[in-house]
Amino acid sequence: MGVFPSGRSTTELVDDLNLETRDLIGWLLVAPGLLLFSMFMIYPIAMLIYISLTDATTAGSVVSGETSVVGFDNYVELLTDWQFWNSMSITWLYLALSLVLKVILAIGLAMVLTHERVKGKRYMRAIVIIPMGFPPIFTISVWRAMFSGARFGPMNEFLSMYNGAVTSVAGLVDTIVFFTTVNAPQFLLADVPVGFLSSRWTAFAAYVTTEVWLAYPFMVIIIVSALQDVPGELQDAAKVDGAGFFHRFVNVTFPSIKGPVIFASILTAATSFQNFLIPWVLNQGGPARQNELILVYGYREAIIENQFALASSIMTIAIIIIGMFMLLAVKKTNIAEGAA
Amino acid sequence: MKGLYNAIVDLKAGRRTPEDVAKTALATGFAVSILLVLMFPVYWVVTASLSGGSTLLTSDGVFADPTGYNLEAYRTVLGGDRFWSALQNSLVVVFVTVSVTITLAVPGAYALSRRKFIGKSNVLYGYVLFTQVGAGLSIAVLVALYALFVEFGVNNNLLVLGLFYAGGAIPFNTWLLKLFMDNIPVSYEEAAIVDGASQWQVMREIILPLAKPGLAVVLVFAFLAGWNEFIVAQTLLSPGNETLSIELYGLATGSRHSTPWTEFAAFAILFALPVALIYFFAQSYVESGLSFGGMEG
Repeated sequence: MGVFPSGRSTTELVDDLNLETRDLIGWLLVAPGLLLFSMFMIYPIAMLIYISLTDATTAGSVVSGETSVVGFDNYVELLTDWQFWNSMSITWLYLALSLVLKVILAIGLAMVLTHERVKGKRYMRAIVIIPMGFPPIFTISVWRAMFSGARFGPMNEFLSMYNGAVTSVAGLVDTIVFFTTVNAPQFLLADVPVGFLSSRWTAFAAYVTTEVWLAYPFMVIIIVSALQDVPGELQDAAKVDGAGFFHRFVNVTFPSIKGPVIFASILTAATSFQNFLIPWVLNQGGPARQNELILVYGYREAIIENQFALASSIMTIAIIIIGMFMLLAVKKTNIAEGAA
Repeated sequence: MKGLYNAIVDLKAGRRTPEDVAKTALATGFAVSILLVLMFPVYWVVTASLSGGSTLLTSDGVFADPTGYNLEAYRTVLGGDRFWSALQNSLVVVFVTVSVTITLAVPGAYALSRRKFIGKSNVLYGYVLFTQVGAGLSIAVLVALYALFVEFGVNNNLLVLGLFYAGGAIPFNTWLLKLFMDNIPVSYEEAAIVDGASQWQVMREIILPLAKPGLAVVLVFAFLAGWNEFIVAQTLLSPGNETLSIELYGLATGSRHSTPWTEFAAFAILFALPVALIYFFAQSYVESGLSFGGMEG
């Protein structure tokens, strides 16, 4: 080729040709990246575990060495603390509820977007995955605005429209039924404005809605590509045999998308478990710390309440659970095939 | 539109029954209405950003009158200092993240793809494990890092923040790049070495040019890691050093100064636009990158 200088000794050439012999160069090439990663990820995890065994309170006390090792006291304190169990339960409830809703929504959408009767499916598929293309902090702060407790917040506007509809239906009935006065029944009307983010379960519902909106596109992509592999003859054969929609779904469609759905569920469950931004941006895990997902709980104990030791034990427990999710994901999905 | 025209022609010619056409129209209409409901937040933020100074927040509800659209909110955001100084800070962070990630991931990926050394499979397995983890881990370790950073006085430092993001981005991007490099035939390198190329030349003139699509994907991911992140930045940086995501949060929660939604929406769109553009233009690239990970199931 002429680009490269020639004239090297035969032994050098043989050495160079054998691309897999030199240990040292390989290590030198990997080392800088590994070092940086270890510095900012592995080392802090080790430090976290250490702090969780001490009685550190403020950030200053963590590094000054004025702390003493107290063993598992923090964990004992945690496991007997109502706040911890509340946070754990709300985290798992959040994970489970949003997972179920995501799966239902995604399967429904995927079936609509692969249905033979629906025209323009290609464009619709491009539109349906739009939420994936935004930064999470953007999406979540827009949803915070959606659920704003202000009179003119979008959700409150919808409630007003609904109220208006109910009232006008009642008015219509009133004009038809002339012999008595019919008013809109109070239990059907919403008390606008609703402070969605200032009461516990409406705030929780807002979290779940936001989570579902953030994560459904990933599932839709995976299920659509699985549905496209379902043999059409199978569906037709089932139809000829007189199988109804429900039977076809249970016996033909679902078995063929089960694998991908489980795969996507593990990944999205893992991210739901460690969600921080949704509760934090919507109302900082409130009201009154009732909806603190596990990471929000740990973060607040450290940064705001200055309980670094306790926070570290919370985070250590969270990391153990995250680690189990990681192992599960890698094992279940053969993602590490090339690593062995 | 062409489909509609064909349907009408088919109907007239009697090739399709009206019932058949009606079913199709109904199914399509159903799909479209679901999409409209799902995309409402996107519609809302766009409308809000275009309704500066008009009726959005007073009486007409959520569906503002399109004839009243104007760019006032964008003018306010772009005319103020906050956006520009935050943009500058974000760019500093992103620049550090991208350049460090690329510089460290390329040699690492090359070694993992081509070299054999003790502990290689361990490193690789560890990296793959950490590709499975979202932002949660960095928030968990933030508790320990915060104490350290404050002690060494580097908490309010954009360069350190960029370095932190790069550290978190290393496993995924190294692994991704390794998969790209695995697909480059070894015979090219052997031929170059027979021609007298040194190891360095092999890497620079054979591997790098052939791994360009992989580098582009890594560039995108490293950019996103720095641009999108919020909570670590918010915790570490002091006022005066805000990045765009911190400013956006400030506008959304009204913690800094109470802002009309129109300005919040305009700011949010300006913040999300580069990401959305990259995402949609690079979609095929990113998807091919993801399919490497078996993410297609």
